[in-house]
Amino acid sequence: MKKFKIFYDFDEEEKFLHDMAEQGHILKKYSIFGLYHFEDTEPQNLNYKIDYRIFKNRKEFDNYIALFEDAGWRHVCGTRSSGNQYFLPMSEKAGTDIFSDRVSAAARYKTLYKLCMLNVVFLLFYLLIILLSVGGDLSKLTFLTPGLWERTGKAFWSAFFFELPFVLFRVIPPILLTVVAVLYCYWGAKAKKIYKLSINKVDKYE
Amino acid sequence: MNLEKYLPLTETTYYILLALLEPGHGYAVMQKAEELSNGRVRIAAGTMYGALDNLTRQKLIESVPSSDPRRKMYQTTEEGRHVLLMESQRLKHMIEIYNKLQGDV
Repeated sequence: MKKFKIFYDFDEEEKFLHDMAEQGHILKKYSIFGLYHFEDTEPQNLNYKIDYRIFKNRKEFDNYIALFEDAGWRHVCGTRSSGNQYFLPMSEKAGTDIFSDRVSAAARYKTLYKLCMLNVVFLLFYLLIILLSVGGDLSKLTFLTPGLWERTGKAFWSAFFFELPFVLFRVIPPILLTVVAVLYCYWGAKAKKIYKLSINKVDKYE
Repeated sequence: MNLEKYLPLTETTYYILLALLEPGHGYAVMQKAEELSNGRVRIAAGTMYGALDNLTRQKLIESVPSSDPRRKMYQTTEEGRHVLLMESQRLKHMIEIYNKLQGDV
């Protein structure tokens, strides 16, 4: 079974996975942008815990998973660059959580926020390159056939459809980049808000 | 380098730096911190990994060659030792001043 769902709050996502497991749907895979793959089995009470991390190399990722395994947590899914890392306790020594203070739990949102903003910067940079390539004249991204709009009938339509694929090829990337940049801004803002909320609840020296 | 900025240390950081005076991997540090604190400081896996990552970036600990390919070994650096010393002096003063004033009462 597949389910599409977007979470901004890790606690809510953990609860969602727990509730799904109680109905007999066990998380098998998480693909980016909110697509959860579940496997149907008998209902279970599973205490999912989510960390958010990206690793600079395979060795560091292995080291991370080894530390969690040593401490009694099984890495259920997540890749080196997926961000979300899902864990389940596999022995008593795991305890109830993968964080022992709230500052480190909140740090996940800071990492998420920083990555969102980094993506926004990259996307804006690409947009700028596109803009510079047409000298700031956005009309150059649309129809370029001279005198196209003065033509009528068959002459117009054949020229129009001839150029249309090229226009789409020029216009779609900047639109897509803009949409994705806005989404990342929104996601980053949400992460920052939750970070601020959870950090303000704790004592500075905890 | 200005090491003052790291003070006061959190209890977690203090025990990690102490535990890593001898080289050890992440889980060994978790066990050692618990042992050194008489079972009071129990650092969970996610908190531990984050702390090791931060301390490495601050150069208070560093990774040293490991015989186990999957597990990184860490050790407290010269700077880390110095921070520990400064922190213990700070704490010592706090205890001394407490004893002195309590003694006066």
